Amino acid sequence: MGVRTQRLDFAEFYRRSADNCLRAVLVSVGDRDMAQDLVDEAFTRAFASWRTVGRHPAPSAWVVRTALNANISWWRRRRREVPVPDPGMVAGPAAAGAAADSPVDPTIMAALMRLPTRQRQVVALRLFLDLDTARTAEVLGIAPSTVKAHLARAIASLRDDLMPERQQEIPS
Amino acid sequence: MNDEELTTMVRESFAGVRTTTPAEQIVSRGRTARARRRIPALAGALAVAAAVALAVTSLLPGTHQAASPRPAAQLAAWTVTRQADGTIRVTIRELRNPAGLQGKLRADGVPASVTLIGHQNPSCQRYPASPGLLQRVIARTFEVLPTPHQGPPANMPDRALSLVLVMLIDPSALPSGTGVQLATTFTLLPPVVANGGVENVAHGLVERGLVYASAQCTG
Repeated sequence: MGVRTQRLDFAEFYRRSADNCLRAVLVSVGDRDMAQDLVDEAFTRAFASWRTVGRHPAPSAWVVRTALNANISWWRRRRREVPVPDPGMVAGPAAAGAAADSPVDPTIMAALMRLPTRQRQVVALRLFLDLDTARTAEVLGIAPSTVKAHLARAIASLRDDLMPERQQEIPS
Repeated sequence: MNDEELTTMVRESFAGVRTTTPAEQIVSRGRTARARRRIPALAGALAVAAAVALAVTSLLPGTHQAASPRPAAQLAAWTVTRQADGTIRVTIRELRNPAGLQGKLRADGVPASVTLIGHQNPSCQRYPASPGLLQRVIARTFEVLPTPHQGPPANMPDRALSLVLVMLIDPSALPSGTGVQLATTFTLLPPVVANGGVENVAHGLVERGLVYASAQCTG
């Protein structure tokens, strides 16, 4: 594969998947700017190793996985300086406040942030990357049945969180 | 509202989230990253590179986990220890603060320039060291240490393995008027599912070289 062809392939991959990768990482980390930085770094690494990554069965999953790994490194660095709570444990008002600058409905963002980390990751991969159960399980290193269980619990929690809000919006 | 409608609503709520980084910027950064990886081949005698890619099974047998307790202090990105024989042991996990390591080496009497790969000090002039001399001044070994998992995301195993680069610097072997130059990267690559387990792959790259000592380069 020539350099120019390689570049065009990557550009096409980036055009098709960058937004969804960003959304998936945003769901996982809960911070828009951090998600953008992590995704940019992951795509940079993908380009640098495009001969390999381009043949990956789900390169967008590779990007998201790389971004989340970079986030682990960031978290470790941060932890040595200032203790921070698990983003998955952030309560509703705080999460809604953090999402104030986000284009995402703050109520939905807060509901997602209240999900445990693993459930959020499953939601991110299933909803935004459209991965099937088997591929999601492979990316996260867990059993397919566990993926299904996490997704079911996540949807149940989201329904509990969001449906009352939505019902109140319906004029009586 | 059924499950599909709920997930559609969640998905559509993110429709306004779009990347702000043009593809050209990513490509440019990617080219720089590629070029950095090629520096060892291009830099000849200056950069005798140590590149290792190590795949290790994350879930260790319990006996291995218990057999290698390490003090928390060793989880720092790097440590510098002067040994009884006068050599200096440098342990690098991640070179996040090259200026700090450079200052520590200088404080221990080693004229040194330490940077990330691709950011070497342009004031430094290469000293034409033979591979044998370089090995005498900066001997390099590798260790794999169990590292306790420290925080979220909670999908990591209890213990992961990190590749740790260990170098022994012998200041007495430095030719007069020279110092050491180190440039490094350390990257934890995405986990790979293989052989019935999850493998973490770490990639470390260290460039070693000798340079002419000067106030601008080695302090």
